[in-house]
Amino acid sequence: MSPAFDTRDALSAPARMDATDQRIVDLLRENGRLPYRAIARELGVTEATVRSRVRRLEDDNLLRVVAVTDLEAAGYGMLLAVGVQVENRAPEAVARDIAGITEVFSVNVVVGAQDIEVLMVAEDQDALHHLLHERLARVDGVRRLTPALAVDVLKNQPDWVPFRESA
Amino acid sequence: MSRRRLDEVDRAIVERLAHDARISNRQIAAELGVTEGTVRARVKRMEEERQIRITAVTNIDHVSDAALAYIWIEVERSHQISAVARHLATIPELGFVGEMLGRSDILAITMVRNTEHLTSFVHQNISGIPGVRRTESTLGVNFVKHDYRMARIVS
Repeated sequence: MSPAFDTRDALSAPARMDATDQRIVDLLRENGRLPYRAIARELGVTEATVRSRVRRLEDDNLLRVVAVTDLEAAGYGMLLAVGVQVENRAPEAVARDIAGITEVFSVNVVVGAQDIEVLMVAEDQDALHHLLHERLARVDGVRRLTPALAVDVLKNQPDWVPFRESA
Repeated sequence: MSRRRLDEVDRAIVERLAHDARISNRQIAAELGVTEGTVRARVKRMEEERQIRITAVTNIDHVSDAALAYIWIEVERSHQISAVARHLATIPELGFVGEMLGRSDILAITMVRNTEHLTSFVHQNISGIPGVRRTESTLGVNFVKHDYRMARIVS
């Protein structure tokens, strides 16, 4: 997704990405396997320049070129947004435990009626039942779960994500 | 909506591509003990059938003032849900749009700077869509996890 503001401002502040970097990233977003030669030709720079810039962005932990698997092709038939209310424990700690569940692909500590917002997938209704009531509900500090099931996903392009060295 | 599931070999290839998709077909082939042609053909097929998408992701952790916003949207009449969702899907700033059961009718997700920015974004882009009755927004304060290897590949 493109954030609702120009992230280039924030990124260029520590002089991390210049205009050429940004154009390389844009081309790789469209096609992650575009040969460096083709990128070089497009931007009018040498292949070595593209190669070294991509390596630097990766080394600086700013960029990753990845394969995203479609949820359904991966065998997950259901996608849910689950609100989590927490008691007697810090929401951050509960969120970290929830993040350890494979089927949970997004975890955010939020402010409002819910304490944590979770996006998760399940293979089928049985798997969903187990995940919600036996795994998520039993995480220490979880008070109530308020799930919503997606019946149609019209758009899902999380191009901006948090990642750390180990991810 | 039903999409062919990946088989064992597909999954093994995708696993190699998941964290670094710049790895060469030859290297994947050598690791899996299949031919380079097999890897090339399968990657091509998986991309064409939209089972996978190979793309660049950038790190939100390096953007100091960015927060994820969950916008729940209720429509006036239930038959308007799909039309409103389709309208929302055309807004470039939204990274996720889904028609939902329970909680509310539609969930939209975007990245904003702060509460004021979220409020103005919703007023300018969502409140005026015909059929939108009310919205309820939640702002993220700590983005703990996002597994970029999983998504619903739509277009």
